[in-house]
Amino acid sequence: MQTPDITYLLPLFFVGVGAILLMILSTFKNINIKKGAIASLVFLTLAIVSNIYNLNTLGDIYSVYPFSDVFNNMIVVDTYASYFSTILILGGILTILIGLHYFQRRKEFTVEFFSLLLFSVFGMMLLVHANELITAFIALEIASISLYIMIGFEKVIDKRIEASYKYLVLGSLAGVFFLLGSSFIYGATGTTSIGEIGIFVSNNIDSNMSLIILGGTMILITFLFKIAAFPFQNWAIDVYDGASLPVTAFMAATFKAAVFGFILRLVLVDFDLIRDFWDDMFVYIIIFTLAYGSFLAIIQKSLKRMLVSSSIVHTGYLLIAFVSIGVIGENAASSIIFYLVAYFLSALGAFGLIAYISSEDQLRITYDDFRGFSHIRPYMAAMLSVFMLSLAGIPSTIGFIGKFYIFTGAIESGNEILAIVGITATFVSVYYYFKLIAVMYFYRSPEMTDVPPLKGIAPLVIAVIALMIIWGGIGNTLIAYFPGVDFLIDMAKLSYKSLFIL
Amino acid sequence: MIDSLLAYITLAMILFSIGFLGVVSRKNIFVIYMSIELMLNAINLIFVSLGRYYESMQPQVIAMIIIAIAAAEAAVFLSLIVVLYRRKKSLNSDIFTILSQKDSHE
Repeated sequence: MQTPDITYLLPLFFVGVGAILLMILSTFKNINIKKGAIASLVFLTLAIVSNIYNLNTLGDIYSVYPFSDVFNNMIVVDTYASYFSTILILGGILTILIGLHYFQRRKEFTVEFFSLLLFSVFGMMLLVHANELITAFIALEIASISLYIMIGFEKVIDKRIEASYKYLVLGSLAGVFFLLGSSFIYGATGTTSIGEIGIFVSNNIDSNMSLIILGGTMILITFLFKIAAFPFQNWAIDVYDGASLPVTAFMAATFKAAVFGFILRLVLVDFDLIRDFWDDMFVYIIIFTLAYGSFLAIIQKSLKRMLVSSSIVHTGYLLIAFVSIGVIGENAASSIIFYLVAYFLSALGAFGLIAYISSEDQLRITYDDFRGFSHIRPYMAAMLSVFMLSLAGIPSTIGFIGKFYIFTGAIESGNEILAIVGITATFVSVYYYFKLIAVMYFYRSPEMTDVPPLKGIAPLVIAVIALMIIWGGIGNTLIAYFPGVDFLIDMAKLSYKSLFIL
Repeated sequence: MIDSLLAYITLAMILFSIGFLGVVSRKNIFVIYMSIELMLNAINLIFVSLGRYYESMQPQVIAMIIIAIAAAEAAVFLSLIVVLYRRKKSLNSDIFTILSQKDSHE
């Protein structure tokens, strides 16, 4: 039986409709934050269920263009997009569950916030489904504009508005460069559809490619800006620091994955033949990203700023795999996809736990505030340690497996220097991650009065994330017949293959 | 035909550069916003002239879509400018310095 086209788009449909419905519901007085959160969770759960249904029923590798007479192949639904959509929807769900306590404590948050969050998830999902440059730009703007407002949502705090304004100006500037690149590529090829650009490039590889390379460079500028790589990294610390903690967690965990999801499709399908042109540039970008990110992370006193700086370092690791695609593309590409999952879990857990701790009136911001934390809250300290171990890439966590695949891929493809730089950065990262563990366990708190009480669903959710991180590191060596970490890697390989079905 | 296309694209790139310079060098947050709009409209000009060159309707539609996105961005931009002005009573971007202070609070 032929599957109706709407089935493929159900995940997008549920998130989009949910966002619009929540925007309407927010005008009613008797819808409080809790009801709004439950409604948005229902829509996100429906979306993730339909997404997993698609992944299960459509076969291992699939690639379809739903409503191709209406959308003109602008939206593609393949294993790759569904895999990324699962990550993104999961990011939305976990952010709401972890942040609910935080949102309830702060008076400024209203139901519109959840609507914006759903719009943002919708934009990111559309971005990974996009098969055309202008569609991708629209999706990027939907996601970004929702994020600008989410950052500045608590408008009584000066810091939030300034962060929002800073991100708005720089983000729009980066978006303009994306459009300029698209216009150059349109001028060169006469099309903006990703598959057709790839066909044009492979047919005319002997002729002059400079206009396409120029356009591609403009698009890569936007990409490097959005993931906060070296020349464009300065906004990240200020903006992430200015945003409220659940929003920071959401941005750090999901937005990077969505942007990588689109740019991998673009580069692998379109620019595969001319990609060597950018390789030298990327080597320098990676070295500077790793060095500067590590430097920034070492000098920070605030835990939040340290985590943000370290996210720049993680961008560097991802770019190592990005350059290594090529000689043996499959391993490097799937290692990016897997590392995105690993970083997603670790970052969401770390930011979420700090958000939960700070949601009470007692604030813990700097390293010193966490002095002796393990004696007050042993379980929370243990969970925070798990996230730090995973971010640092210590074995038996999912972060180790992710780094292992990235560095293996780099060495296999002949980028030994990058692998050495990356491993050095990992050594350095042990300093700033383990400092927190040391502060929590080896010192005694002078005053033990401010004990954050365990309330709500957030600690449970964070504990589940911590368990997932350990499970991802150990794999299925302990529990037979249970899907282990190999399952995630196999899925990543399948989704990579689904990019090349025509 | 190719000469007039080149002339249009040169004009668009000059407009784009003026917009970029405005974002980089101006202090007034309202002028920064207008410079970004100028850059977007320069890209519209490129798309429209390319549409005339290829005799295709697709770039004209793209230009319409870009105008719609610019409008959405304008809404956020203008509301943020209003909020910023209400708090500081100034449009000079130099006085917004909270983020760069080291001992920032949550």
